[in-house]
Amino acid sequence: MIRNFFEWVMGPMGRIAVLITALSLFSLTAFGIYQTQQPPDQPIEFTHKLHVGLGIQCLYCHPGALRGPSPGLPTQTKCWGCHQQMEKTFDPNFPELSEKLVGYIERNEPIPWVPVAQVPDFVHFTHRPHIAAGLNCENCHGDMTQVEIAENPQVLNMGWCLNCHRERAANDPEKLVKLTDCGTCHY
Amino acid sequence: MSENISRRDFLKLATVGAATTAVLTGCGPASRYIKREPYMEMPEYTYNGLSTYYATTCRECAAGCGLIVRTMQGRAIKVEGNSNNPVNLGKTCARGQATLHGLYNPDRVQGPLKRTRGTPFDLRTNVSVTWDEAVQVVADAINNNNPSEVAFLLGMAPDHLFDLVSDLANAIGAPAPIRYGALSMFEARATLIKASENLFGTAALPFFDIANSDLVLSFGANFLETWLSPVAYTRGFAKMRRGNPKRRGHFIQFESRISQTAAKADEWIPIRPGTESLVAAAIGRLVAEAKGGAVSEVFANVDLNEVLSSADIKLETLEHVAEMVGEAESAIVIPGGSALGLSNGLQTAETILTLNALADNFGKPGGVYLSPFLPNQDTYHRPASAQEMAEFIEKMKSGDVKVLFVHGVNPLFELPESLGFADALGSVQEVISFAVFPDETALASDYIFPDHHGLESWGYQRVATGTEQSVLSGAQPVVSPNYDTRATADVLLAASQALPFKDEMEFLQSKFASLVGQADDSFSAPEINTFTAYFQQHGGWWKKSSELVSPSATDTLGRNFAVEQAEFAGEGEFFFLPFVSPTLGEAGANKPWLQELPDPTTTVMWNTWVEMNPETAHELHIENDDVVKIISEAGEVEAPVYLYPAIRPDTIAMPFGQGHTAYGRYAAGRGANPAKLLGQHFNEAGDLAFAGMRVRIEKIEGKKQMLSRLESRIGVYNEGLEEH
Amino acid sequence: MGIDLNLVGAKGAIAEEAEGKWGMVIDQDLCTGCQACVAACAMENNLSFVGEEDAGYGRTQHWIRIERFWEGAYPEVKATAFQPMLCQQCGHAPCEPVCPVFATPHSPAQEINLQVYNRCVGTRYCANNCPYQVRSFNWRDYHLEPFHANNVDGQLVYPLHNQFNPDVTVRRRGVMEKCTFCIQRIHQAEDKAKSEGREVHDGEFTTACAQACPANAITFGRMDDHESLVSQLAHQDRGIKHLEELNTLPRITYLKEG
Repeated sequence: MIRNFFEWVMGPMGRIAVLITALSLFSLTAFGIYQTQQPPDQPIEFTHKLHVGLGIQCLYCHPGALRGPSPGLPTQTKCWGCHQQMEKTFDPNFPELSEKLVGYIERNEPIPWVPVAQVPDFVHFTHRPHIAAGLNCENCHGDMTQVEIAENPQVLNMGWCLNCHRERAANDPEKLVKLTDCGTCHY
Repeated sequence: MSENISRRDFLKLATVGAATTAVLTGCGPASRYIKREPYMEMPEYTYNGLSTYYATTCRECAAGCGLIVRTMQGRAIKVEGNSNNPVNLGKTCARGQATLHGLYNPDRVQGPLKRTRGTPFDLRTNVSVTWDEAVQVVADAINNNNPSEVAFLLGMAPDHLFDLVSDLANAIGAPAPIRYGALSMFEARATLIKASENLFGTAALPFFDIANSDLVLSFGANFLETWLSPVAYTRGFAKMRRGNPKRRGHFIQFESRISQTAAKADEWIPIRPGTESLVAAAIGRLVAEAKGGAVSEVFANVDLNEVLSSADIKLETLEHVAEMVGEAESAIVIPGGSALGLSNGLQTAETILTLNALADNFGKPGGVYLSPFLPNQDTYHRPASAQEMAEFIEKMKSGDVKVLFVHGVNPLFELPESLGFADALGSVQEVISFAVFPDETALASDYIFPDHHGLESWGYQRVATGTEQSVLSGAQPVVSPNYDTRATADVLLAASQALPFKDEMEFLQSKFASLVGQADDSFSAPEINTFTAYFQQHGGWWKKSSELVSPSATDTLGRNFAVEQAEFAGEGEFFFLPFVSPTLGEAGANKPWLQELPDPTTTVMWNTWVEMNPETAHELHIENDDVVKIISEAGEVEAPVYLYPAIRPDTIAMPFGQGHTAYGRYAAGRGANPAKLLGQHFNEAGDLAFAGMRVRIEKIEGKKQMLSRLESRIGVYNEGLEEH
Repeated sequence: MGIDLNLVGAKGAIAEEAEGKWGMVIDQDLCTGCQACVAACAMENNLSFVGEEDAGYGRTQHWIRIERFWEGAYPEVKATAFQPMLCQQCGHAPCEPVCPVFATPHSPAQEINLQVYNRCVGTRYCANNCPYQVRSFNWRDYHLEPFHANNVDGQLVYPLHNQFNPDVTVRRRGVMEKCTFCIQRIHQAEDKAKSEGREVHDGEFTTACAQACPANAITFGRMDDHESLVSQLAHQDRGIKHLEELNTLPRITYLKEG
């Protein structure tokens, strides 16, 4: 049985089959890796570049970062507060606004945003102390004036967290203990 | 899917499909990211990622503890006690903690339903109706029937719905609503109140100030478990033990088994069931004799030797207890449910209150008081006794009840089967249930118009006892309703024009009106809207200072009445003692975490057991986990045996709380209901003589059911059962 | 700890550090065995209920349990004082050195034993080595069993998941877990105090079990602050520590009955 199979593999048809299998495996892997580098589809192609470029502060839409763990996403009323006063919102040339945004508002439906900067469930990240320590949003989230659709500039893994923690607490042993304690993030 | 594909094939296909999709998209954004839906319009007092706290009232039992519920992004996360509420001062019991498992229970009634009585509960097969139709059904039921043939059956709590239904019944000329709950039956509340009326002329619940006493004698009172107001009484117990650095209060429990409460006693005295009044009188006699002077006739008539033999107690024990009572600064004696739920229950209650008179503690710290009248009330409304329920059932059977509204109570489970509620329902033309969960009674109804869960609704609840001051505990929604439910108060107000209120809130405010601007309030508000806002913010309204009433007892010790042993119903070698499960209570069986809490004394989880003395069991060749049939004159149930070292050899005990045939996936088909064994026997006050049954048991050969317990794995692995 | 036990005088050094940072006092004279702490802990820390069968196999996820023992035989039988048993947050924890993947390290900052779920590979060595038997293992994904779900248009919906506390990780199958002294509450209180530029007050926050306890039998706080209620209670004559002879340096003091 096994012997027959090997004989078949060594034959011409077998070689072609092996080649095809190897090629498809390779391309699937390549496709997979490519996929991991893609930002997710957003329900509305919201452009950070434009909004931040207009001078809107990050904390205007994400105020939770000042107070607690989560910066939060703006409520629809906040979007609509500005957009309902703008002609562009209702201009059919901008379907993202006139169809999608207006649609969500009219249907009274929440916009299912896909956050891009995430940590896993077992990590408990809190924004407040990071802001209080003098970090700016762009230190972690990159320069949003250059980004159209939100994407994540860096891999938010533990090594990256710890590098910064170690750097910042290098001169203060007590702080270093606290900032490198497992229980600071994992519980 | 075409009809040709079998279920099995479909599952295979689905699995293959899912696997392929998972592989192809496994690396794609869809799998790595989640969606997040922001608020449409965020409440202004909410911050992203921060909790919001709301004060409300616990509805798991009728005690009325204040809660602060932590919510986050519209979800209730954690229940904490309201530290300002005088009932619980920031504490909660296990049932209060698990109320969230009721709120988010997968087996809630999700919308108004029309159904065929007795069919299984399934949202897809029951006919959904709209709320407009529901209101019309209720309106027709109220308006198209003779008002005297409309009946309302409500839960134990004296809450705003009871007030509203009372007003409504009054306005349309229907009989007043009946309140009932299994807890009131097991506490024998009617007996306690009747005894208070006979002795003090006031039909109020006595308040036992154990916090300030230095000697507590309890005749089967489970005040650390479910009795009257367990959180308040537990606080009192803690104060009694450790509140005064100079003395540690002593606690003696007379009960035929070590209950959770008895386990905390310094001395447990297992007297024979039914002899509580004799023992109390004998103690009274010894105390009075030691004091010198006249011994009141009640006590003097007791024959000590007869007490010793019938109660199975030693003279030294009695003398020791009497000596302690004589020496104590403030001794207090408490009558519990199992002492009053007997044929001579009223007599027992009066003997025990007389014993308190002998200890001279009426209206004194560490003694007996009467609970204050409730806000807006001048008489005490107690829940119906079992006898009153039996009368109501007779009325149903005779066809005098055309429409029955049921809210907050599950009589098919909570009433003993022998009372015949199930049969009587057949004579009622239309049964409308407002149940939150698909319980047995809801399944026997023609309609279920689900109320909001307690944490989704407005309201208030009067606190019947447990506090020094009168308390109106406030309830407000902590989350918006999860399902298409509607407040029963709103449904009734919409259906009947008899009351002049547009909605529940208007009704609530009408009841608040008389409280606005009273002196000595917990908060002061000049007018009704401010009052309502403060009421919600504080979690209720109460007086600041004590309002306990001293009983006006003139010649308590001069009263004379016969003190006799209780009579037991039925044949059999065992006394039968049903008790309310300390963790489940009467309605906790559908909350999975309550099921997984070990019973404090047996550590059994998820099931019903029969407690039996190991010696007795040995004689009957019964081992742990052997299933036995318990037979009384009223019925029989099967349950596995738990060899309990702390129960009289002539008594077996069973917890009440399981044995549901419905009530959701966590409760249905689990355990057995001891109420099936209770016959129709009442005491003079109308309470059921639930502790006055004799039973016999039959071992079912070869049938075992392994009880899951925390304490030992031996029973489960079936090892070491032979030698113990 | 950072103490070499082979050094002369090491034991004295241990005694110095034995109190630790956070501590708890449980008054067994007051504990009524009511299970409120168990339920409160379950709700706060997203504990799974495991169902009747697994509970029978001793797989319950109780981070705190109430032990009850019998003494004597009828009629002289007595229930000993109810004994709430939870992770003692040992200063010298037997569970820590046996973990092959360092998933149960000692926190130098909070001086408690941690359980790092993402690092745990489920060898269960720690549970095996715990003299208090307070660690529990996730034998299944209990919270994801379809039994708990409703089928809504072909999708499994778990209404009970709405109750989960977002501050605590929901554990999956194959990891060990145990009492954390409600570390999420510690962090919250410390963060709040820091944002207001002060220290955490004694009694400002407490663990879920202590908060619920109707008899006030559980007290939690700073042991290294001699003014705090918990350290004053701990130094009464009634105070004992469990299995002290194993030199585990438990952080929980039990107050005896009587």
